[in-house]
Amino acid sequence: MPSLVVSNLAVSDVIEQSLHEQKLPGDLAMWFFILMELTVFAIFFIGFAITQRLQPEMFIDGRATLSADVGLFCTLALIISSYFVARSVEAVKRGNNLVAKRQLVFALLTASIYIVLKITEYSALVEHGFDISTNTFYTLYFFITGFHFMHVLLGMIILAFMAKRAKQNAYQPNDCSGYEAGATYWHMVDLVWVIVFFLIYIIH
Amino acid sequence: MKMINIHFSAVILVLLTLISTMLAQSTIPIGVLALLVTLSVMVKGQQITDIFMELNTAPTKWRWLLLSYVILVPLILATIIYI
Repeated sequence: MPSLVVSNLAVSDVIEQSLHEQKLPGDLAMWFFILMELTVFAIFFIGFAITQRLQPEMFIDGRATLSADVGLFCTLALIISSYFVARSVEAVKRGNNLVAKRQLVFALLTASIYIVLKITEYSALVEHGFDISTNTFYTLYFFITGFHFMHVLLGMIILAFMAKRAKQNAYQPNDCSGYEAGATYWHMVDLVWVIVFFLIYIIH
Repeated sequence: MKMINIHFSAVILVLLTLISTMLAQSTIPIGVLALLVTLSVMVKGQQITDIFMELNTAPTKWRWLLLSYVILVPLILATIIYI
């Protein structure tokens, strides 16, 4: 009888523990990669801010050639894209791969708006004679936003791969750490852009 | 409940983005603008890390590691530029 009581206590402890388990989504390696990426971006941001402090007129003139609306719509596109990715993770956890795939397609479509807007902005700047060698503002602007642009492209490739695997019903509710890792990378790209938008388009 | 959080978080992110853009184009004093947009980017970062990245259910150290990034980086940038 005492052993039965002990056994029941042990089971309830396990259930209690699993209910309150704090789990890091995705793979640990992806989180270390994200921390590394965030550190690199932080260094670029601080470099941009220090240069702005040293050469304020150049940055005021440079910002005047950028469109705040482009920055706004790029931000909205990435936020909405991240929203669809978060919803797709929930769908996978409920075992609904087809819904997850559909959410990823929406995420890719909204991310495409960002791509089109950035290409349009780069083209307009180059047409007006501003490129990476014009002055320090444009060097930093093209470098930071271009580096982020490449991350968006990589993120879109990852999302497309995840959508393909979801279409094949490859993810299970209890085995989706790869899916979570890909989604987390995309949210990191969104997080970085939120700070880029603040630093380049909003602050003046 | 989780899905409601995702919807709510997306609405907060969109609204804060719109408000920040309007503030940047307004004629409010630069100090007030700096304070409001810096707070706005911190809240947006918190929403992305806690809700979208699901760090509100992750081990506390990991959560605070990312939260410290979204609080400290905008604070450092605003300090360099405005103070």
